[in-house]
Amino acid sequence: MVKRFMSWLSDPLGRIGLLIAFLAVFSGAAFGLYTTQTAPPQPIQFPHNLHVGLGVQCLYCHPGAYRQASAGLPTETKCWGCHQQLSKYADGTVALPAELQKLKAYVDANKPIQWVPVAQVPDFVHFNHRPHIAAGLNCENCHGDMSKVTVAENPQVMNMGWCLECHRARTVDNPEKRNKLLDCGTCHY
Amino acid sequence: MTTELKIPEFSANFAESGQQGKWGMAIDMDICTGCQACVAACAMENNVPFVGEADSGYGRSMHWIRTERFWEGEFPEIKMTPYQPMLCQQCGHAPCEPVCPAFATVHSQSEALNLQVYNRCVGTRYCANNCPYQVRSFNWRDFERPEPLPNQLNPDVTVRRRGVMEKCTFCIQRIHRAEDQAKSEGREIADGEFTTACAQACPADAIVFGRIDDPESAVSKLARGSRGFHMLEELGTLPSVTYLKAG
Repeated sequence: MVKRFMSWLSDPLGRIGLLIAFLAVFSGAAFGLYTTQTAPPQPIQFPHNLHVGLGVQCLYCHPGAYRQASAGLPTETKCWGCHQQLSKYADGTVALPAELQKLKAYVDANKPIQWVPVAQVPDFVHFNHRPHIAAGLNCENCHGDMSKVTVAENPQVMNMGWCLECHRARTVDNPEKRNKLLDCGTCHY
Repeated sequence: MTTELKIPEFSANFAESGQQGKWGMAIDMDICTGCQACVAACAMENNVPFVGEADSGYGRSMHWIRTERFWEGEFPEIKMTPYQPMLCQQCGHAPCEPVCPAFATVHSQSEALNLQVYNRCVGTRYCANNCPYQVRSFNWRDFERPEPLPNQLNPDVTVRRRGVMEKCTFCIQRIHRAEDQAKSEGREIADGEFTTACAQACPADAIVFGRIDDPESAVSKLARGSRGFHMLEELGTLPSVTYLKAG
């Protein structure tokens, strides 16, 4: 078996074949790694920087962060609530841009926008936004400065070490809270 | 940085080094009719899969709570013992914990419960073999949930995959939800504010759930009564579940 493989290697065609196989595996792995590091495609190219720059609060579109586990993603009616009032589009002086036409299509069809969540944790992790906001954290502490990104992307590798780093640092002087925040059952159940 | 791992060790005097529970349950065997409503409710709440006939035949059935019954005497002169719902006793000194090589079954310091960390479990099944109550169940397969059954999965509970041990959690997702709600309103959890799925479903109210460390809670009052006993008490596992004898 080994002998056959060696004789096959001495043949130039065999070497080329081996090179192609190696390149295929390597590029496949590289592409797989690349896809884990890129933001997923969204149905609408929503510019976060523009909205944050205009002074819209994070909690206006993601109100769940303030009171429940999931921050929530806005519905088409919430977007349209503001956008239908923009007079330069309403009186026809400026044509509706392509992305807003997509939004209008969703509103006209009365269909929800299928936003793709970007900051996600696995199924066996139960994250709750409310206590984090209540503890005085701001959105940008975990989600990065949204005034600098257009379509949402995740600046942070959200793994357990990263969670516990903060949980440890913030509970140095409170053993009871430390027990709670380092407990497996707080997130995994 | 110092490590904070508390590695449990076997010891002959279990009861002395054990931790008293925070949450507890009292089950009245005199009231229980063995209707299995708790079993069904638990399976729905906690995404317990349907194993099917073939695998059940191999003893691989999965329940976090089951209704036990025993016979006394020979057929047809059978005397039935009272029905006894059997679930994880959330031992203060649990035999399952020290045997796990992966630290997947650990004791919660804050909630005083026996946890099963699914993402850590490698499926050695030591814990189930060491459980005197036989209440742990193992995912021998990725059991099928044909459409539209996936729609009834509880999003607050992990859907376990093949090769993972699981058991009753005292509905820890409900505990967390109630704690979160109470904290957001700046108060303590009131007794009876929430309960586990089995206790909620019990038509006869035979199951009472609450804070066992609060002497004024309903469950503490029941557990203190003369009818109360712990299952296999002589093992010194300090169960958090108190059974009330049929009187």
